[in-house]
Amino acid sequence: MSDVVGKPLKVLVTGANGLLGRSVVTALIDRGHRVRAMVRPATDVSHLHWPNDVEIFRADLRVSRELQSAFEGIDVLVHLAAVVTGGEEAQLAGTVIGTERLLDAMARSQARRIVFAGTFSVYDWSTIRRQLTEDSPLEQAPDLYERDGYAIAKMWQERVVRRMTQESGWDLTVLRPGFIWGKGNEYLFGLGQRAGPLQLLFGARRRLPLTYVENCADVFAECVSIPAAAGQTFNVVDSDDVTVWRYAGQWMRRTGKRGVRIPVPYSLATLATRVAQRTSKLIFHGKGKLPSILVPCRFEARFKPLRFPNTKLRTVLGWKPKFSFEEALERTYEAGQCNQPAAMATVVDSRTAFTPSPSGRGSG
Amino acid sequence: MRVGVIGTGHIARQHLSCLRELAGVEIAAVCDLSRGLAEAAAERFGVPRWFTDSRTMLDEIRPDVVHVTTPPTSHYRLASDAIQAGSHVLVEKPITVSFDEVESLLDQARDKNRALIEDYNYVFNKPVQRLLNMIESGEFGHVVHVEVLFCLDILAKGNPFCDPNAPHPCLTMPGGAIADFLPHLASLAHAFVGPHRGVRSTWRKRSDSPLPSDEFQAMVNAERGTAALGFSAHAQPDVFWLRVYGTKMRAAANLFETRLTIERTRGGPKPLVPLFNSLDEARAVRRSAFGSLVRKLSGGPGAYEGLWALLTKTYEALNKGGQPPVSSQQIQEVNRLIDDLKKPEYQF
Repeated sequence: MSDVVGKPLKVLVTGANGLLGRSVVTALIDRGHRVRAMVRPATDVSHLHWPNDVEIFRADLRVSRELQSAFEGIDVLVHLAAVVTGGEEAQLAGTVIGTERLLDAMARSQARRIVFAGTFSVYDWSTIRRQLTEDSPLEQAPDLYERDGYAIAKMWQERVVRRMTQESGWDLTVLRPGFIWGKGNEYLFGLGQRAGPLQLLFGARRRLPLTYVENCADVFAECVSIPAAAGQTFNVVDSDDVTVWRYAGQWMRRTGKRGVRIPVPYSLATLATRVAQRTSKLIFHGKGKLPSILVPCRFEARFKPLRFPNTKLRTVLGWKPKFSFEEALERTYEAGQCNQPAAMATVVDSRTAFTPSPSGRGSG
Repeated sequence: MRVGVIGTGHIARQHLSCLRELAGVEIAAVCDLSRGLAEAAAERFGVPRWFTDSRTMLDEIRPDVVHVTTPPTSHYRLASDAIQAGSHVLVEKPITVSFDEVESLLDQARDKNRALIEDYNYVFNKPVQRLLNMIESGEFGHVVHVEVLFCLDILAKGNPFCDPNAPHPCLTMPGGAIADFLPHLASLAHAFVGPHRGVRSTWRKRSDSPLPSDEFQAMVNAERGTAALGFSAHAQPDVFWLRVYGTKMRAAANLFETRLTIERTRGGPKPLVPLFNSLDEARAVRRSAFGSLVRKLSGGPGAYEGLWALLTKTYEALNKGGQPPVSSQQIQEVNRLIDDLKKPEYQF
């Protein structure tokens, strides 16, 4: 166990200006820790309103030469950054290379502790029944490579973090949040599919693995200094049971978006994906390529009705969410301020990419 | 054939996907500076060995063929190492960042009696191959002129070519991002009108961005005709036009899709010729609309069909001891054209 726990620490936060990162920085400061916030070189931080004693360290993990100085005086690394936009290869390469370069720099420093943002996406949703816990199986090859670029990149990022932690003898806590939501990320891609004014809600009565961004950030800040967190993996979800139907209704009511909620039974929707896949394979001799939402394993990872207990978080850390769902709604939509819904939020929205790059034609 | 692939990024996935399908080919190892990426590629494509050092891979694996799929600035050293190790080498375009390095690699390959191939994938796309076959058979007549034009929004926010946080490796090359596309333009021009005799080019910068230039036009006087080459980062929507003008026909292909339309000289009443040509064109456009969708849904190589065709022909040639589909002379002539397109003395 690290000897730095139990006292104010100096914490390096990567992806600090992302949705989760902003709240993590605030949560760490609230606990009396000092923060060095790593943001990309071209990031405008003026709107973040961080206190003056938050150090800004500008770097792009994929390319910046001088990463070691980011660790000067640092006790703990909170690693939130990942490439969450762009094509599959861009996400994988950016996320993995950035993490390797960051941890190489850490290995040459005195820092010994990591709190890492994993994701629910790494689980093997196809085989999990009833409830998803920290002991649920992870996606493995070859099925992993049927999943989307985000899941592949985050799986490899976690593998890299675990390997380098083992090689260096660090203390690691892996936190796997469910759907992070809050101001700036109100619409969740785990609700269903929007088609004009229609909100197709797959499995409208299923519970969402929600974690309100300030609650989620609270877990990250907590794990920085709690000895019991070291060496552990936790799923991060709030305690309220919130259904798809309810969340979508709140989103429409509070944003003033007009539309109609259409409940679509999960079993019917998943059957449709399997029919689509069979048909595609039949037509294209086993090689067909479908839109992401029609790929069964990807559909399951977004919409499968499971229970998401936070028992381990509560029993091992004694944690309970700071804000109830109702309180979180008020904080998210207060003063009528909310962003446009994200077209496709990711399951774990660290949103603190090294550098986004849209998918598109390259020169190849 | 035992194959080693150096570089496991975006384009390497196409190489590996194709190699996995080719009979008589064994992907023996992959290599990347990133251990995570090397391991990921090995796991995904069932490759038994992975390396983070290319020279170690060459020493331990002794591959028959090496694919170099890294950023262009590293091509020369990696290709040279592979040739010296006795491997045939297939290098992604642009093969090197200078013409001197191209000639050096060609010399090394000749000295070692190894094949050196640059990826001119679009030359092997189906519409291009169909036109080349029609020209060879005489059906198209003689090619008088060819136009090759990219319209590609590489200035879009977040595009890797103008990423303000991580400068793209190509920006250090003469010509910047556009230089990354010149092998496509030059190889297609070369395929239709042969080696060039003279060029005039203009490079412009319309927008404030990290790119040294974002607009490019060139006129090429070549052995068998003329060529107009262009790249625009502003003209939209995205398209990759190839227009070929022959003495009996003219053709237009959008190489981002499957579209190929052909107009031909015809017999019969002259007033009806435009009608027949328009009906032909309408049929071809309708066919391509569905063809492009089917290509996307098929799970095949999509716009990289030319790369797959090139690799297939390459391995057929290497297995039989025949001539590879891209010759040393072709590489030299294409890259001499690219070199001239970038020379200040030929710009107006």
